[in-house]
Amino acid sequence: MKLPDYISGFFEDTGNMARFVARYFRELFRPRYEVRQFVRQCYLIGVLSFPLIAVTGFIMGLVLTMQLRPSLIAYGVESQLPVMVGLSIVREIGPVITALIFAGKISSGIGAELGSMKVTEQIDAMEVSGTNPFKYLVVTRVLATTLMLPVLTVLSDAVSLYGSYLGVNIKGHTSLTLYFFQVFQSLGFGDVLPALIKTFFFGFAIGLIGCYMGYNSKKGTEGVGRSANAAVVVSSLFIFIIDLLAVQITDLLGLN
Amino acid sequence: MAANKRNITLGFFVSAGVLLLVVALYLIGRNRNMFGSTFHLRARFQNVSGLMSGNNIRYSGIQAGTVKEIRMIDDTTIEVDMLIDESMRQFIKTNSMASIGNEGLMGNKVVNITPASVPGEEIEEGALLVSKIVPGTDEMMGTLSNTNENVEELSIRLVNTVNRINNSKALWRILDDTTLSDGLRTSMLNLQAATTNLNIMSAEFAALVHDVRLGEGALGAVISNDTVASDLKEAVANIKLVSEESIKVLLRVDSMVAETKSDLQNGDGIANKILNDTALVTKVNSSLESIERGTSSFEQSMEALKHNVLLRGYFRRNAKKQNGKQKR
Repeated sequence: MKLPDYISGFFEDTGNMARFVARYFRELFRPRYEVRQFVRQCYLIGVLSFPLIAVTGFIMGLVLTMQLRPSLIAYGVESQLPVMVGLSIVREIGPVITALIFAGKISSGIGAELGSMKVTEQIDAMEVSGTNPFKYLVVTRVLATTLMLPVLTVLSDAVSLYGSYLGVNIKGHTSLTLYFFQVFQSLGFGDVLPALIKTFFFGFAIGLIGCYMGYNSKKGTEGVGRSANAAVVVSSLFIFIIDLLAVQITDLLGLN
Repeated sequence: MAANKRNITLGFFVSAGVLLLVVALYLIGRNRNMFGSTFHLRARFQNVSGLMSGNNIRYSGIQAGTVKEIRMIDDTTIEVDMLIDESMRQFIKTNSMASIGNEGLMGNKVVNITPASVPGEEIEEGALLVSKIVPGTDEMMGTLSNTNENVEELSIRLVNTVNRINNSKALWRILDDTTLSDGLRTSMLNLQAATTNLNIMSAEFAALVHDVRLGEGALGAVISNDTVASDLKEAVANIKLVSEESIKVLLRVDSMVAETKSDLQNGDGIANKILNDTALVTKVNSSLESIERGTSSFEQSMEALKHNVLLRGYFRRNAKKQNGKQKR
């Protein structure tokens, strides 16, 4: 019995991706290590993404505060605004929004870059020249996204909380010390650590999917665009799937 | 050079992220009393009302520590193990009391340690605090429910009473009657006057009593003067003597009446003679007849005088005067 193309295509992609992941881990621990390239990718992926992440984080904190204020006033718990916003940002909004922005910027970039390298046969040329293209292109990028996204998330949370502090002060008045004291009073390790840990998985998924889509790009320049697009869509979807799994696991562990 | 600058930027970027994370974890850890020296305290409750490990402990409202562990001792007793900041040890005394409260109306549960009103000794590591049962929301709602039922019953009764008052014709007739108020006012004025008189009487009576005490006046003399008392005693003795004599006289009169009665029955004595003498009766009868005849002739003479020429005018004037008086 012949399966429909879209089903067989899905399983084929899943199988290829599993092999790709396996190859990634194999190449990751096998010398020689492309440290210089890894650092360069960290800079390109992490540092250069920070302005975009910071701006979106700041706006997110500010808007969330201003949107939540009327509801909290209606319930007479306006004083709990820092607690509410702090918990929302640290537990969910900070990691997910940062990951989505990161996916939009990085995953598509990696997909397009590797895709164009693939269709212009630069990857084949690297293999011919004796350089391991997987280690040089994929491992460094995936490792960089995996490690940079948590750092970006922490910085984004800080900027968001500052934006929220400004949001609180637009219609009320509270000191920065009191605001952060209230936020950290309500936070526990169970709020910070699971949120931080899941960003490693977000980063890994974003880098891996971007690289997979680019590395397996086909059909010339059209395939490059498709790879870039698919990289963003699939990595964004994966962010939510991982988030769903993460919340289930933290719930099972009693951390919610 | 460019790569070096890039590395420095990356290093700064990563350091900033890691530093922020470390600071955040430190702040959270400090709130959970993970750093700095602490000591343990215990308290036992029958109901912890949803208290959880990690909830705050307040001493007189100040953050003093966190709940470390909650464990069941037996089916009715729950022991709460508390991790208290060492700096609070000097303030918490052995007679301090622990109770479970809320952070705000809808906030987390919190253990409140309150100092006793009398001084106590400094608390030791692992000491068991006396627990105080604070009425929870459920108990308050239960009491409030009873109060509501009572208020409902009262309001129903009040409505019935008001209806009865509204429907009472007699009451409204009394209230609408203006003369009643005037009468009531007059009564009150009379009562006021009576009270005034009573006051005056009371004052006079007080003066009288005062005079009596001083021996002034007749009553005072009677009460305070010994000679009057002896005279009174003598007078009473005399009255007694007189009454005794009177009894003797009455007895004698009684015996006389009895004697007279026996004389009348036996035909003896003066009375009997008067009553039984027929000649005397005849004489009396003839005398009475003579008087009657005399009176009749006098009337005839008077009638003759009225018709006499000389005296007729006098009698007419008298008759006119009599008629005038009658008409008036």
